[in-house]
Amino acid sequence: MDQPTLLLLLLPVILIQLGLMIFTLVDLMRNPKPNGPKWMWGLVIVLVNIIGPILYLVIGRRNY
Amino acid sequence: MSQFSVLLQKEWRENVRNYKIFWIPVVFILFGIMEPVINYFLPQILDSVGGLPEGAVLEIPTPTPEQILVAVTGQYQFIGMLALILAYMGTVAGERKSGTATLLYVRPLSFSAYFLSKWLMASLIALLSLWLGLLAAYYYTLLLFDTVNFADFLRFAATYSVWVVLIVSIVLAASAALPNAGMAAAVSLGSVLLMQLVDGLIGAYWSVSPLKIPVYAASWLNGRIDLVDFWISIGLVAVVIALLLIAGIWASRLNASKAKV
Repeated sequence: MDQPTLLLLLLPVILIQLGLMIFTLVDLMRNPKPNGPKWMWGLVIVLVNIIGPILYLVIGRRNY
Repeated sequence: MSQFSVLLQKEWRENVRNYKIFWIPVVFILFGIMEPVINYFLPQILDSVGGLPEGAVLEIPTPTPEQILVAVTGQYQFIGMLALILAYMGTVAGERKSGTATLLYVRPLSFSAYFLSKWLMASLIALLSLWLGLLAAYYYTLLLFDTVNFADFLRFAATYSVWVVLIVSIVLAASAALPNAGMAAAVSLGSVLLMQLVDGLIGAYWSVSPLKIPVYAASWLNGRIDLVDFWISIGLVAVVIALLLIAGIWASRLNASKAKV
């Protein structure tokens, strides 16, 4: 299989990951009081694949 | 009944506002897509990672499409369970801690409506995520490998759904029974992993057990299933889920006084 098809196959995965990351970053920026320093969560969201944004949503966001 | 529907609406709103309705399906879909793709590109991946001497020939048998789908549930067995446990560990315990619970507990609250509304909403979201993830996996398997009999796939997914509902019930019961979300997560993760370990080690000695549901789900695809054992196991799971629900309702009533004001 050649490169373009490969890219097309992986496109949904990349889009979902990027979407999740941007969505979480926007939420972090607008969050007045996250659970921990903001810059740390920013790094976690950007650098840790998939798990990073989810970790933020689960423990960083302070749902209450 | 009207109390139940009001509480169900509250649960729905909560799940939308803390984005659980978005990110749990995303996790399941991502891992559902990645398993077939990684399997398809395994030879190239091994090639580019390197470490093989020049001219080495590696024969990797192409996995059957059924094997891919089973491997997807293998991923869900750990990562999917982890996502569900993390998402729902605080359902009751977190509410007691944050003080939301006091707003509810001062009212004449039916604890069965309270607990069951949480359980129903959590189960619905978990099942939605599971089905979206499995359908994504099915579609990618279809594209990259071969077709799987769709009726078999439906049976497989339906059987696995029973297992997911069991997990949700365990998490919610733990969340109602234990003082905080962290302990609920630890206990439910510990019990799920321990159950899998026990079944993996000595499970060969019995054929009927609630722990065998994922195995039964997989055997729909292999076409080797003992229907009698299967239905007895499903019945057992239903009993276990009912017991967990009763325990959860009882524990949330018992622990209501522990809510932080």
